[in-house]
Amino acid sequence: MLVADKLSFAYPEQASYLFSLEASPGEITAISGASGSGKSTLLDLVAGFQRPRSGALTLDGTDLLPLPPERRPVSLLLQADNLFDHISAAENALLGLPRGTPKQEGSAAVKAALAEVGLAGFEDKSAATLSGGQKQRVALARTLLRDRAVLLLDEPFSALDDETRRTTRDLVGELTRRHGWHTILVSHHADDIAALANRHYRLVDGRLERV
Amino acid sequence: MLTLPHRPARITIATALSIAIAALIAAVLWAILAAATDAGGHSRVDIPHLLRMTAIQAGLTTILSLLVGMALAWALNRLRFVGRDLMVGLFAAAIVTPGMVVAFGLLSIWGRNGWINQFSQSLFGVSFDSPAYGLSGILLAHVILDGAFAARILLARLDAIPANRLKVGQSLALSAGRRFRLIDWPAMAGSLPGLGAIIFLLAFTSFPIVLLLGGGPANQTLEVAIFSAVRLDFDLAGAVRLALTQIGVCALVILLASAFSPVPAALGRSLPPTWRDGPGARALQWLVLIIATLGFALPLLSVLYDGIVGGFGRVLAQPAFWRATITSVGIGTASALLTLMLALALALGRSAAGHPLARTGLGIPAFAYLAVPAVVLSLGFFLLVRNFGVSTSLAAPFVVVGANSLLALPFAMATLGPPLDAIVRTRGKLIRSLGIGGWTQFARIEYPLLGRDIGLMLALSFCFSLGDLGVIALFGTQDFQTLPLMMYRALGSYRNNDAAAIAAILLIGTIAAFIFLPRLIERLAHAGRRQA
Repeated sequence: MLVADKLSFAYPEQASYLFSLEASPGEITAISGASGSGKSTLLDLVAGFQRPRSGALTLDGTDLLPLPPERRPVSLLLQADNLFDHISAAENALLGLPRGTPKQEGSAAVKAALAEVGLAGFEDKSAATLSGGQKQRVALARTLLRDRAVLLLDEPFSALDDETRRTTRDLVGELTRRHGWHTILVSHHADDIAALANRHYRLVDGRLERV
Repeated sequence: MLTLPHRPARITIATALSIAIAALIAAVLWAILAAATDAGGHSRVDIPHLLRMTAIQAGLTTILSLLVGMALAWALNRLRFVGRDLMVGLFAAAIVTPGMVVAFGLLSIWGRNGWINQFSQSLFGVSFDSPAYGLSGILLAHVILDGAFAARILLARLDAIPANRLKVGQSLALSAGRRFRLIDWPAMAGSLPGLGAIIFLLAFTSFPIVLLLGGGPANQTLEVAIFSAVRLDFDLAGAVRLALTQIGVCALVILLASAFSPVPAALGRSLPPTWRDGPGARALQWLVLIIATLGFALPLLSVLYDGIVGGFGRVLAQPAFWRATITSVGIGTASALLTLMLALALALGRSAAGHPLARTGLGIPAFAYLAVPAVVLSLGFFLLVRNFGVSTSLAAPFVVVGANSLLALPFAMATLGPPLDAIVRTRGKLIRSLGIGGWTQFARIEYPLLGRDIGLMLALSFCFSLGDLGVIALFGTQDFQTLPLMMYRALGSYRNNDAAAIAAILLIGTIAAFIFLPRLIERLAHAGRRQA
């Protein structure tokens, strides 16, 4: 269980936040709220890009706060800029594997991960030539290879058309269940939340309210 | 681009100016060609040798400056320390720092009687050959200026990397090397060809640095050879051939460069980084920063020290110094204002013209001056004035103001054009729907939004003019001289203390103008908006 307990944070001369939530493995916890309400700030705190003033953040009892972002058991899927455009889909996915992974082993794992997200045969495609939905799937393949317990999604479907949005959304739900991720989805699209969320919090006045 | 209402007056004025500027280039070229024909074929200039030397020098300068610029931008992007903003500002000022001042600073440190040799002699009793003369000195001076300029431009590219990309990279625990390969390099790579072309042109047409540090014919470049042919050898035929070669090569480089992505003129502010590299990479970043700071700042500090300790008082007591100062400031102010009028009229006309062909047509004549080096333009005006039977001394102030203004025009257009286009893109529909036009559009919307860019443009052209030696070198006389020409003459007559004092004053003047003019104009623009 991922638990945020009274995580407090404030930007200079701006509103302060106090976050408390629970996210279970294999489930999607959705966060909604108005623009500027602090949704992305919450994800930054969980990922380690911001340091809270006080509070606790644990995963199955392990304190995550002392860990820098690169050592947290966290993968990210953002609205854009998830891939490095000048390298191939396979090279982007490969970044999810630990350094020093033998080449053959890495190639096989990448191939399998791309196949799992429905992109078999896309290994050599340049990331720049992929569509928005395909880019999100490559990022998901990288998430599979990283195999971290927490997946943070920051408006990951916002830039996709309806059909791609639905299929990518379904894929995220299926992978979360199959791999037992603690997935936190930030979105202000009610249909995404209705389709995916096992648990739903709304951010009001810097506090999370269970819906 | 058709979101703004038609502005026929703007387009008409811009078209008329464009035609006038194009006609002037044509007249200059005609004067040079006619002189070549009249002068016949007798000349001693060795064009292949000069072309080879200039190309080698400019090519090496470009490669070294880009390498230094990349390393320095990388270090500045990562490190935070007290005085960092000041240092970044100084590197940005490299583009306007007069080449003569840097050359003088190098001599002061690395020259035969420089700090290093004095130190070595007093400590070890040995002295060594000065690396400040010849190709090594030229490269050193160019890399100090152009490397710092490249660093500032590339730092802007690194600062513009999307925050999401950095978050993903940090979350993936990319090493410093992988981070550079996957995130930094792609951000910088797009700017390298265009930036390289600019640096190549700056080095190819470099005049004062080669003149002071060249150390003889072996390292002479086309630009200096033109000056020598006109002023020293009276070989007009040779000068004209050299000028045509120079224009041809510069035009070719510009044509090639136009295919690359443009280099940003406006520079943003760096945000504090949240992702620090490992200790090894950080140690390397500090090392790069320390070497670059010593390399860039030491020559400038030595100029200030030598100037203040040397002959500050004596120079200030000379009436000739005050005359030169008034001339320099007057020419700088006049050419900056003329550049502003020309660039603003052309850029407003371009942004109002919807058709891409019309935009290109309005821009080409102004940007063509990139291909015309200062000494060549000066030579063209010199021949034109002579052809019209006008006294050179009478025409000199107008020619120097005009030439400096035209030489600054491409940079001014590159500074004002993109923000004006952005106003059309982002606010065009609003302006149109509100029915705003004419003077109101400029005074209420464009001027307040352009304040800082106008200030930057004025500072650039004022500083270019203040440090110019290429134009004044052909037109200057004992009674009509600017500070750089006075400094050059002081060096020529071995009055090094006087030269040091003038160099220090030039340095303080250019840096102060470059820092304060944009702020002043921005403040004025915002004050105007508040009153409106």
